[in-house]
Amino acid sequence: MLQGVLTFILITICVASSFSKPGDYSLTEESRLYTKISDVELATAQGRFRLSEVYGQSPVMIAFIFTRCSGICSPFLLRLNENIKALSSKINFRVLVVSFDSADSLADMVALAQRYGLTANSQWLFATTRQINELNTSVGFHPVWDSTKRQYDHEALLVGVNENGYIVKKLTGIREPRDLLVMIKEINNDFVLSYPLPRKNMLFSCFTYNPATGEKKASLGLVVLLLPALITLLLLFWFSLKKQEANRAS
Amino acid sequence: MTTLSLKKITSAWIITILALFVLAIAFGITMRFNQGANINLDPAKFYSLLTTHGVTMIGIWAVAGMVAVNYLLARYVPVSTSLNVFAFILTVVGVVMLWVTTFIGHFHAAWTFLYPLPFYVAWEKWATPVFLLGLGVLGIGWFVWAVGMMLQILKKYSLRHTFAWQHLTTKHDVAVETPPFILITTVSLIGIIVCLLAAVVLLVLFFAEYFSSGSFVNDPLLMKNLTYFFGHTLANESLYLGLATLYELMPEVSGRPKFKTTWYVALGWNCTMVFVLTAFFHHLYMDFVQPVGFQMIGQLASYFASLPAAAVTAFSVMVLVFKNPIKWSLTNILFFLGVVGWLIGGVGALIDSTVSNNIFLHNTLWVPAHFHTYNAMGNVLFSLAFFNWAANEFVGNQNETKSYSLKIVLLLIGGFGFVLMFYFAGAYSVPRRYSVYPQEFTSAALLASAGAWFACIYLVVILWMFFDIVKKCFKVFSPSY
Repeated sequence: MLQGVLTFILITICVASSFSKPGDYSLTEESRLYTKISDVELATAQGRFRLSEVYGQSPVMIAFIFTRCSGICSPFLLRLNENIKALSSKINFRVLVVSFDSADSLADMVALAQRYGLTANSQWLFATTRQINELNTSVGFHPVWDSTKRQYDHEALLVGVNENGYIVKKLTGIREPRDLLVMIKEINNDFVLSYPLPRKNMLFSCFTYNPATGEKKASLGLVVLLLPALITLLLLFWFSLKKQEANRAS
Repeated sequence: MTTLSLKKITSAWIITILALFVLAIAFGITMRFNQGANINLDPAKFYSLLTTHGVTMIGIWAVAGMVAVNYLLARYVPVSTSLNVFAFILTVVGVVMLWVTTFIGHFHAAWTFLYPLPFYVAWEKWATPVFLLGLGVLGIGWFVWAVGMMLQILKKYSLRHTFAWQHLTTKHDVAVETPPFILITTVSLIGIIVCLLAAVVLLVLFFAEYFSSGSFVNDPLLMKNLTYFFGHTLANESLYLGLATLYELMPEVSGRPKFKTTWYVALGWNCTMVFVLTAFFHHLYMDFVQPVGFQMIGQLASYFASLPAAAVTAFSVMVLVFKNPIKWSLTNILFFLGVVGWLIGGVGALIDSTVSNNIFLHNTLWVPAHFHTYNAMGNVLFSLAFFNWAANEFVGNQNETKSYSLKIVLLLIGGFGFVLMFYFAGAYSVPRRYSVYPQEFTSAALLASAGAWFACIYLVVILWMFFDIVKKCFKVFSPSY
């Protein structure tokens, strides 16, 4: 019987694993930090120039999108636009939206800018580049083409570059204005007082991260997660022992 | 032993649950009509309805299972009517508190009240603490009741016998056979106790932050884990309580010998108990800060939790009905269809819990599709079967003469039609939790509208059953009874 059960479990594990197709994702925000971004040539509605000419004038946040994206790109840009509108206009930075899809033309990017009402906004630049692979590699961005869906599998990536062309901050996903403010401070070489994680008033984190060593460790929060099952187990054994004692006494 | 007081409190539960069920279905239909652009609700009102619908449904069907097993448990061990009444009073108080927060306080953070949403107050300020307190009141009532039932079982059966471990050895102690009902009830009650304790921890952490004025904040990852540890487990265990009822009653009403606990029944349910407690990790696939190991546990546990219970039950039910003379009645038809609905919904759940599929189906209408299937066409049918059986028991007549064919046909059309619209929309990647759909989702509104009409057919059958069952339940309160 035991053999049968073990065989069943083994087969189930194999079947379950075959269904699973873990992607090769690297969503770390630490890769390529403090390295220089590739100085690629950009094509924009304002003309052709090099990336260094953009960050040389003011720090820049670069958003990576493609115009035919049916996933994260639209909400990502929408939220970025909303958050930037909510911030003070005195802050010194520009936003460069770059298409990482070689099928996108400059006209596509201009149309995208129009859709978001950003054509006349000098803070925003919409661009394509022939050297997209070079740019992607320099920031550690690896979109994967899915020929079935005819879409790129990619994360929403915002890269903060300071006036010297160094990548000083990366944000993955749609983020709060608070995170955006930290990036703006970073690219302007302003002092960031503290990062929100880990906080002293957060007692029960599930995991802790040591930025010095890059080590991730399980933390007190996991014990809290185990508590309900442990308490139930203890209750069961306690009831059971009580019953045994009562039986012995009788 | 079944006493009059047990019958009375069980009747009170059945009437209350069915009344709340009818109202909650009406809220659901209203939402689907709104998504179908047939009516125009204010978004805040829509989300208040969504919250009320979700919290009511999850609550009543969890407690319906407890009502059923408590009633049937009296066949094996003494059960406490006082605890039952205590749980009933706290449930009524809790439901009133929750409905007050959603309808008067306009609280609309959904039944999952995912942290930190309840703290982003877009409603009356008092609604957040009262909502959390309302959940606490429900949790305390059910926790005390579940522990009470568990204690009664442990008074008669040893821990080994409760889990039917003697059936797992080749030389098992045949002198003590654990009835399947006791085994499944134990497994489910343990799960319920664990998830209610998770709810307690969750609520304590919520209140700690609420009253700390910023000196204490929670880890969102821990809060999400706890929320689904509680929510997912409760939803699953409710279903298993329904299955306990099925194992006890289906052979009896079919005129067949009772189910026996065999090694595979014992093994299946023991495995289910362990795996169901870790399956909730599949709700956090999109939380990339959760280590990959936990995501793997989520996928594997989802398979392991459902397969043993589903395979064993489907096999047992097939053996019961296949080529055997069955005395069909509304009760066992509902049990049988409940198993079918549960299995279909279960397959939908497994598809969604597979990481490579979840990338596409996460937070689409596929999610409500599968949970409505195994609830509306699974768990609800198990409980309705018990309600119908209990109501007949109260009036002392299990030989129903009324035809139930029309009820069943309408139930199938309404129920499966309703969930099918969710599945189609899910397959088209229509997102869930939208009050209205943008034009880009071309078929979403049409499917929502069709789903609402199918749900109306389902509601008609439920109302029909409601009046039949409630009429019989009220007789228990008659002085001449």
